[in-house]
Amino acid sequence: MAADHRVFLDATLPHLDAVYQVARHAARDGVEPEDLVQETFLRAYAAFDRYRGGSMRAWLAAICLNAARSEARSRRRRPWDLPARTPLDGPPATSLADGPEAADVADIVIAGLDAAEVSRCLAMLPEPQRLSIVLMDLAGYTASETAEVLGCPRGTVLARVHRGRRRLAQLLAEAGVRHGQP
Amino acid sequence: MDSHDQGHDRMLQDFLAGELDPADVSRWDEHLLGCELCWRAVREDRDARRAVQLLRKPALPWLSERIRFAVEVAAAPQAGSDPPSGHGGLLSRARLAIAAVALVAVIAGAVLLPGLLVGGRAPGRARLPAAVSVVADYARAIPPGPRTQMPGERLRSAPVLVGRRVMVLPGHQRIVLSAWRVDGVTAVAAVSSRYFPMPGGARRISGQGMAWLARLGNLRLYCINGRPSELVAARVPEATLALLAASLPA
Repeated sequence: MAADHRVFLDATLPHLDAVYQVARHAARDGVEPEDLVQETFLRAYAAFDRYRGGSMRAWLAAICLNAARSEARSRRRRPWDLPARTPLDGPPATSLADGPEAADVADIVIAGLDAAEVSRCLAMLPEPQRLSIVLMDLAGYTASETAEVLGCPRGTVLARVHRGRRRLAQLLAEAGVRHGQP
Repeated sequence: MDSHDQGHDRMLQDFLAGELDPADVSRWDEHLLGCELCWRAVREDRDARRAVQLLRKPALPWLSERIRFAVEVAAAPQAGSDPPSGHGGLLSRARLAIAAVALVAVIAGAVLLPGLLVGGRAPGRARLPAAVSVVADYARAIPPGPRTQMPGERLRSAPVLVGRRVMVLPGHQRIVLSAWRVDGVTAVAAVSSRYFPMPGGARRISGQGMAWLARLGNLRLYCINGRPSELVAARVPEATLALLAASLPA
């Protein structure tokens, strides 16, 4: 393989998990997060000569969000394009920190229901707050990186994420979600 | 600390972000003990952060390989046109061009080996179309199934998708690749909204190259061009390829 492939992959693949977290919440209907991640890396590769330093994962997240928007637009022009969901998809988006041995079926079911509710409540937040929370709390970006991705001052990010979290906590309390409650 | 103005909110945000100096942190700790309003804000902030963790799902292990493969494939056909240069200026650009040309040469060499036969005839040194070459390379990269022939003239079981679909862009043609296991035989199916060009030496099985059959070593290719176009590649005898292709979901 060409040397610069390796340079690119070495520089970007360590951030795959962060990009995946962003993609899972940026992918619109009919778009698989994995496809969005791939599109992100292909776009990043094509633009790698324009990368001027700074946070690599912030750069990738910005590309991911742009790719999600343009993919949603192009999907509207290609109604025949089928989503590529496969029968080998894993379990629902539920991660149990203590591993399967510590979680009985009831815990898994409750956690799955709670995750669905958290996802629903998160979707109710204004996009700037939601994206700030996804980037910082889910994908592990710093406030500075999040500001770079979203193109706004760092203080604005902190304010958005704090207001968003408080609103989310209130929505979850109204929904009776167990997790997150004291 | 007692008044809850904008400055107070900003300090609260900095406190939650862990960015206050130790003296301010101590003052805030004391303030929180007596201020129900701020304590509630801290609690809600913390609870939401914890709840959001429920949505975390680590990237699956195969995703890294998929990305690596897609980038390598996307890089290959760009050698003759406008390769990405990396971020090292002209020297890197030249190095990449040389490396990319070398990559294409390696792939072309693998595909156009002297033993390579298309439709039973030597194809000469004709260059394989990029879209077909990618499908063939992918089919070779997928581990073969336990069988190389179908056990009978009819399928015994439904096709099973192996792994995930992969999207590649050779020469800007969008192709979705998927690997299938059918009665112990592994096959790769490629779908594109554009036609798969007929390689030199391929056998036309319908007018104007809308459908064609080709052989690349022990790999056979069966293509039906249309909307969308489908190309199936498998290490099976010709007689079973059409049956195999017909069995795969569109």
